[in-house]
Amino acid sequence: MKSFIAACVVAIVLAIIGDVALNSLQQPADAAFSTQAVRLG
Amino acid sequence: MAKIFAHLRSIAGALTLAFVVAMAAPVSAQQPNSVNPQASAVKEQQLLQQLKTIKGLGTIPDTKSYVLEHPAGRDWREFRTVTLRWIGGIAILGILAVLIIFYLWRGMVKIESGRSGRLIVRFNAFERFVHWMTATCFIILAISGLNITFGRPLLLPLIGAQAFTDWSQWAKYAHNYLSFPFTIGVVLIFLMWIAGNIPNKVDVEWFKRGGGMVGHDHPPAYRFNGGQKAIYWIVVLGGTAVAVSGYVLMFPFYGTDIDSMQYAEMVHAVIAMLFIAAMLGHIYIGTIGMEGAFEAMGEGTVDVNWAKEHHSLWLEDEKARTGPDQSQRQPMATPAE
Repeated sequence: MKSFIAACVVAIVLAIIGDVALNSLQQPADAAFSTQAVRLG
Repeated sequence: MAKIFAHLRSIAGALTLAFVVAMAAPVSAQQPNSVNPQASAVKEQQLLQQLKTIKGLGTIPDTKSYVLEHPAGRDWREFRTVTLRWIGGIAILGILAVLIIFYLWRGMVKIESGRSGRLIVRFNAFERFVHWMTATCFIILAISGLNITFGRPLLLPLIGAQAFTDWSQWAKYAHNYLSFPFTIGVVLIFLMWIAGNIPNKVDVEWFKRGGGMVGHDHPPAYRFNGGQKAIYWIVVLGGTAVAVSGYVLMFPFYGTDIDSMQYAEMVHAVIAMLFIAAMLGHIYIGTIGMEGAFEAMGEGTVDVNWAKEHHSLWLEDEKARTGPDQSQRQPMATPAE
């Protein structure tokens, strides 16, 4: 049971790390696919 | 004088008529011979086949946006909405039907000599941790992935648009981010158990004798029998394929174009469906299909008689390695007073 619980906890932690890492790297689509000359918002 | 003006009017009218007729003729001549978009019977499919893509000009950096119509996308949509649903439906419902029929015919494979009460360690804590991390991620990935293919036609009518939207949004987040522990788990499984999962002659004999599934035969096996080795390689190879194609999808247009992304989705979806079908068989045999099997991954230990009947060669190796009788006696339950 302990292995199962540890597995679930680690899976969630790794998923959160992935979330934080990707969100810090990735631009939103409206910024990624435009130039600075485009007026956004 | 009046007659001259009458003749002039006739000549001017004839020339005007001739001019109009002459201008009309080249207009029809400019259209392609095989397609006349002015005709009411023109077919869109025919028009699209005349032009591989319909592409305009643009100024933004994303050059993919210049393509306005991508006819191959219609083939991809047909695959996603029709072909893939047939593949998934047949594979998953088919395996469920086979398992139900098999269970009704064979029942649970029992420990024929009964439990000895003595236990032997089969999987250590780290092995069980890696297995359960991969397995729980797989379950959530499978359910959220099936929602992408089947959710709209099957679930949306049941729960309504708003609930389906909310569920699908969270399911997709889970699908994306649980891919990381799943991939790590597949890599660890590959490294951890590669030594015991190389196919050999014992596995050929095991398959020839039906793996002990038919009748009361107990073909010998080492730590992993032929069926388990098949599951191992399905996990490693299938897991690698869905991970690679999945990350191509998660990082769109990093070195890929529209066609490549469509191919990646097709590979990801088909392999995932077959993967789910295979894992349903694995879950069956590890739970209701065989007495004593779940304990191996649940607690890490198995009954010695279970090991004798299903993995006799492994048990002999373990006894030779650890000593004649290192098995633990199963703790007896103390009755409440």
